Amino acid sequence: MSPARTTTCPFCGLLCDDLEVDPADAKRAPRNACARGRDAYESLAAVDGPPQVAGRAVGLDAALDAAAALLRPLRRPLIGGLDVDIAGMRAILALARHLGAVVDHVSAAKQRNLRALQEFGAITTTFSEVRNRADLLLLVGDGWHRRFPRFIERIVAVDSDLFGPPSRRRIVTLNPIGRDTKAALPQDALHLALDVVPEQLPVLIGMLTAMVDDRPVDPRRSGAVAPALLERCVAWMREARYGVVVWTAADLEGSHAELTVQAITRCIRVLNGATRFAAMPLAGTDGDLTANAVQTWQSGVGLPACYGDGRVVADPERFASPAVLARGEADALIWVSSLGQAAIPAFDAGPTIVFGRADRVFDRSPDVFVPVATPGVDAAGHLVRGDKVVTLRLPAVRASDRPSVATALRGLLDRLGPPC
Amino acid sequence: MLTRLEGVRIIDPAHRAGGAVRDLYFRDRTIVAAPRDDEPVDRTWDCRGMIAMAGAIDLHTHIGGGKVNLARALLPEFAAAAPVPATDRCAPCTAGPAPSALATGYRYAAMGYTACFEPAMLPVNARQAHFEMGDTPIVDKGAYALLGNDDFLLRLLAGGAERQEIADYVGWTLHATQAMAIKVVNAGGISAFKFNQRSLDVDEAHVHYGITPRRVIAALARAVHDLGVPHPLHVHCSNLGVPGNVDSTLATIEAAEGLPIHLTHLQFHSYGSEGDRKFSSAAARVAEVVNASPHVTVDVGQIMFGQTVTCSGDSMMQHRNARHGRPPKWIVMDIECDAGCGVVPFRYRDRDFVNALQWAIGLELFLLVEDPWRIFLTTDHPNGGPFWSYPHLIKLLMDRSFRNDVLARIHPDAAALSNLRSITREYTLDEIATMTRAAPAQILGLTDRGHLGVGAAADIVVYEPHPDPEVMFAAPRHVFKDGVLVAERGEIRAVTRGSLHTVKPDFDRGIERKLEPWFARYQTQSMHSFVIGDDEVCECGHSARLIAHRCVRHG
Repeated sequence: MSPARTTTCPFCGLLCDDLEVDPADAKRAPRNACARGRDAYESLAAVDGPPQVAGRAVGLDAALDAAAALLRPLRRPLIGGLDVDIAGMRAILALARHLGAVVDHVSAAKQRNLRALQEFGAITTTFSEVRNRADLLLLVGDGWHRRFPRFIERIVAVDSDLFGPPSRRRIVTLNPIGRDTKAALPQDALHLALDVVPEQLPVLIGMLTAMVDDRPVDPRRSGAVAPALLERCVAWMREARYGVVVWTAADLEGSHAELTVQAITRCIRVLNGATRFAAMPLAGTDGDLTANAVQTWQSGVGLPACYGDGRVVADPERFASPAVLARGEADALIWVSSLGQAAIPAFDAGPTIVFGRADRVFDRSPDVFVPVATPGVDAAGHLVRGDKVVTLRLPAVRASDRPSVATALRGLLDRLGPPC
Repeated sequence: MLTRLEGVRIIDPAHRAGGAVRDLYFRDRTIVAAPRDDEPVDRTWDCRGMIAMAGAIDLHTHIGGGKVNLARALLPEFAAAAPVPATDRCAPCTAGPAPSALATGYRYAAMGYTACFEPAMLPVNARQAHFEMGDTPIVDKGAYALLGNDDFLLRLLAGGAERQEIADYVGWTLHATQAMAIKVVNAGGISAFKFNQRSLDVDEAHVHYGITPRRVIAALARAVHDLGVPHPLHVHCSNLGVPGNVDSTLATIEAAEGLPIHLTHLQFHSYGSEGDRKFSSAAARVAEVVNASPHVTVDVGQIMFGQTVTCSGDSMMQHRNARHGRPPKWIVMDIECDAGCGVVPFRYRDRDFVNALQWAIGLELFLLVEDPWRIFLTTDHPNGGPFWSYPHLIKLLMDRSFRNDVLARIHPDAAALSNLRSITREYTLDEIATMTRAAPAQILGLTDRGHLGVGAAADIVVYEPHPDPEVMFAAPRHVFKDGVLVAERGEIRAVTRGSLHTVKPDFDRGIERKLEPWFARYQTQSMHSFVIGDDEVCECGHSARLIAHRCVRHG
C-alpha cells in the first residue's frame, strides 16, 4: 500500500495539516478530520453538478457568458460571501474594482475584534506559543470547543517539554451557564469554572481587571460566581508565567461583544505590567481573516468596502451587506463562496449570481450558479490560519473539473470587457 | 526593441561616470553598448540636458508581512484620510502611514525606485510577506528572514552546536522561506520577553537559554559568511530607542568579530545619556567607529516630522516604548516560538525635544560617516517616516542652508545639543547616486542592478535637473523598469510585475532530520507545510520572475 498523503483541512480556522488522505479512495474524508471536517469532505464528494442558468444545466462558458450579460449594464453590485482563498480574494477585488462594487464578508463577527483593536490595540499570541508556553488558559464562551473542534487536542492537551518538564496547565472556563464543557478539557488540567450568563461577561472581566490592578470591586456584582472563585482566578492570573485568554468573537453576546473584547484587552495590558499574558481571539473560519488580510494589504483599508467612483472606502456600518441591501443600493448580488454554506440573503432588486460550493442547495435557483472548487479539497489554495500569522498552502486532495474561484472570476472579468 | 536615451548626463558611480554626456542604449530589458551605425534604433528619447541614474534601491523598507498589515488595520482613520484614486492605469487604494501594497509600488516607481527589500520577514509569516510583496507592483522585491529569537536556533546555541550545523539551519531557512538575506532583531531579546525578561544587553544572559546576544550575533554573522550569502548579517541592535544605547551598538560591532555586518536604522541606536534630560547624541562616537571599520555598513533610519507608525519585530522594545506612542493604541505579538512583533503609532514633532534630537542624530550620522559606499538612505519606512519623504531627506543632505533653516525651527535645546550646525558637508549628486543605487546593489550582491554598465538591467531613471533637489528627486521625467516606461513626472504609465530576488546557498539537507521532529513535536504545522517552493513563491507574485543570486561558500 502506498503511504497516506497528508493534507490540510479548510473547514475551520485551525487549518489542521495532519489529515491523511486514503490513497485508495480520495473521496473518503481524510483520517484525523473532526466531525465537522468529515461532513464537509463527504458532502462535497457526493455531488458533481454542472453550472446552471436559471436552474438549467449549462457549460461553464455559457454560465459565465450569462453572468457577464447580466452584469454589464449594472452600476453597483454587492459582492458577498467572500469565504474564499487568497487567490480567490485577489480575483474578487479585481472584479470589485472593475464593477465599482461593494464587498463584504459573510461573517460580521470578525468586526468585533477588529473594532476593539482599532480602539485600543492588542497583545496577542499564536498557536505554537500557547502549545509550548501557556501555563494558564482562560477560555471564554464555548466556541473554542464548539467551533474549533480540535483546538484542545492540537494546542492544549499536549505535554510540551520545550522549556522544561511539562507542568499541569491551569484552565479557567468562563462558560455560558448550562453549557458544560468540562468533558472537552484535557483530563489532567487543573480546572476552575466561572459560569456566567453571557450579558454578565463584561462585568466579570471588568472585575477581574480591577482585582489584578488592586482596585476595589463590589462583590455583589459578580452574579452567580462566588467571590472566592473570582479571587482564586485572580491569584492564578498573577501566578501565571504565561497566561492566555481565548475567545471566539461570534460567541460573545451581540450588544456587549465589543465591550467584552475591550475589557479583555485592558485586563491583559494590566497583567503585562508584571508577568506575561496574551490574547488569542480564535478566528479564521470561512476565510474571514484571509479576506480581510488581502483587502487590507491591497487597498490599505478593511472590509466591508465600496469600490465605486474610482475610490476605495471602508465603512463597517455603511457598507455592511444587510445595510446595503436594506437601503436598496445594490443592483446585483454576486455571492462568492468556496468554503462555507452560509445562507445567501434574499435579493429581488436585480440578478443573483452565485459562485458557490458544489454541494450548495437552493430554495430558489439563482440567475446563474457556477459550482467552484473548494480550496484544500478539489483545488489547491492558501488560507490564513486562526492566529493571523501563519498562512498555509492547502493542496488539492482530488482531481476535479470545477474551476477555482480565481479561474471562474478571471473568466467573468475577461467577458466584461473594459470598465464603463 | 532597441531604445536610445539621447544626450543624457550619466551619473553612474559604479563606473566612476560622474557626469559624462552620451547616448545610453537598452535592448528589451538590458543595457547594451552603442549599436553599429547601420543598426536601426526603434525608439529615441530626447534626454539632452537631463541626468540618468540607475533605478534606486531601498535595502530596508517594511513593505509586506504581518506587522505591516496589522499597522494598516490599526489605523483606518489615517488611511481614510489618504485616498489614492484610480487612474487609467492604477487601481484605487490608500496611502496612510502604513500604505497599501498597491500604493507602495506606484509611489516607489514614480519616485525612481526599482527595487525594495523587506527587511524583517518572520519565517512563519513568510508566505504572507511573499503574497503582499507579490501584490506590490512594478518594483523588484526580496526579503530578509528573521533569525536569532527562534527557539530552534537558541536551543542549538545553548547546546553548543557546531558551526556547520548552524550554517545548515540558516541555509535551510533561506531556502524554505525564499529569502535574500538574514536579519537579527534584538538578538535573543524577543525570545527573552516571552520569559518576562524586560531588557537584554549584549553581554547579558537570556534567562532561559543562558546565552548572550553577543553569542547569537557572532554565530549568525559566521553562518551567513560561511554560506557565502552576499548580504552580510543585517542587524537591528539591542536596546532600540534607549538613552545610552551607543554602548550596546558598539558592542554589537565587536560581536561580529571582524566579519561583515550591516547595522540597520542606526539612528535609533546612537543615543547617549548625557545632559539634563539624560538623552544626547552619540552619532559622532558611532560614526568614528564605523569609519574605522571597513567590514561595517549601515543605514540610518532617519526620522521625519509627522505622523507615522512603527512596525518592528522587536516586541520587547515596542512594549517598553508603547507609552510614547500617539495615538495611544498599539499591538504586541508573541509569535510561534519563532519571533514577535510590535506596532506602535508615533507622531514625531519638531518641537519635541526627544524627536528633534532624533532628527538631528540621523543627519549627523549621514554627514559624519564618510564613505557613501557604506551608508544607505533609509527612514526605516514607515518607522522613521514614509519613504516618499526621501526627496526631502536628499535635500537636507545636499543643501546646508536648507538644513540649517530646519534646524532653526526644531526644539532649541535639541538644536543646541547637536553639532549639526557646524557640519559643512553637502552631499554631491554622485554621492546620492552611490548611497541609493550603486552601494545598496553591491552590498546585496545584485550584480546587474545599481549601475548603467553594459549587461545591467534596464532599470533607468531620467531626471530633469532642478535647483531644488527635492523637486528633482520627487518626480523624475522618465522611469524605465526592465526596459518598460513605467512612470513619467510622477504619473504611472505602465503597471508591471517586478521580480523576486532570493539566494540559494548550498547546505546539508541532513539538518531536516532534526527539523522534521522539531516541527512535529513543538510547532503547530509540519515541516512540509512550512517550506515554500519555487513554483509556490512565483504564484504569490502572480507568476513573478524568481532571480536566485549566487552564493560563494567560505570556510
